[in-house]
Amino acid sequence: MNYAEYRDFSASVADRHIIFYYFGYFSQHIVSAMADAVRLQLEQAEAAAATRRKIFSSFVEMAQNITHYSVDSLTPPALRDNQLRQGSVCIGIEDDRYYLLSANPVAAESVDALRAKLEPLRTMTLDDIKRAYRETLRTEQPEGSKGAGLGFLTVARDASAPLEFEFEPCDGSDAVMFYVKATI
Amino acid sequence: MTTETSDDLFIPATGSSPEVDFRFASHALSLRGESYPENAAAFYGDVIVRTRSYLESVPASQSVTVDVALTYFNSSSTKMLFGLFNVLNDAAEAGTRIVLNWHHDVDDDTILEFGAELHEEFPALDFHDIAVDE
Repeated sequence: MNYAEYRDFSASVADRHIIFYYFGYFSQHIVSAMADAVRLQLEQAEAAAATRRKIFSSFVEMAQNITHYSVDSLTPPALRDNQLRQGSVCIGIEDDRYYLLSANPVAAESVDALRAKLEPLRTMTLDDIKRAYRETLRTEQPEGSKGAGLGFLTVARDASAPLEFEFEPCDGSDAVMFYVKATI
Repeated sequence: MTTETSDDLFIPATGSSPEVDFRFASHALSLRGESYPENAAAFYGDVIVRTRSYLESVPASQSVTVDVALTYFNSSSTKMLFGLFNVLNDAAEAGTRIVLNWHHDVDDDTILEFGAELHEEFPALDFHDIAVDE
């Protein structure tokens, strides 16, 4: 990329109202540093305090999902600490609303379970989501989960529209690219 | 083991984990900061184990004060905090007076609602909602 191309690239990012984008490896340290950057960015954009908190929370949940579950991993799958996995996150503004997008490869075998978890959230009201959240809070940690099974419910609770998601085959790999979009 | 239960527990804050200042000897437990460690189950698991063994040794007539001033906690921390308050509530049901001071930003509805949830679920705790206007 030469300077002119870089200028075009930067202009296109600005035109799309993208306030944050990262593609690469996710570790706890990287997520924590990005969270600081996101917080500063949102303060500068003078977003309302409640909106800032919702974006921050959704950002951390989505980024930590990548740290925990992306199959593009530099660390052994069973490792629970100091994980390093690849994915991307983006925060932008569309029709005067903030949105977050994340993408990471998952195993083809995980697709059905993810779909089963996400699809019901799309038709739930906010009250339904809060009820499901309270119930999940009181249940044992689900098998295979490194969190509490509350991550997507937390994002859905903070979103102003149903969560969107998509799966797409990855070129040259058995993995499937998993996209999530939350509009705050 | 007997000395360990009375030792205080102090874990300094990091960018993504809270300060844990559990002064068992003076019966004052405090959590403050932000909580989104990579492995919340491990982080709070140790805290819960230490708290449980402290509560087993605390005299029934003793009053215990817990101050929680967390400005953000992620979903897996939420789950573990619920477990910690469950342990405190069990001790309160067994007769120990436990005061829970729940500090939160006056505008933070999520933390306010979680506090209300705790108040409802763990009625044996002497719950005080403390809204802070920054």
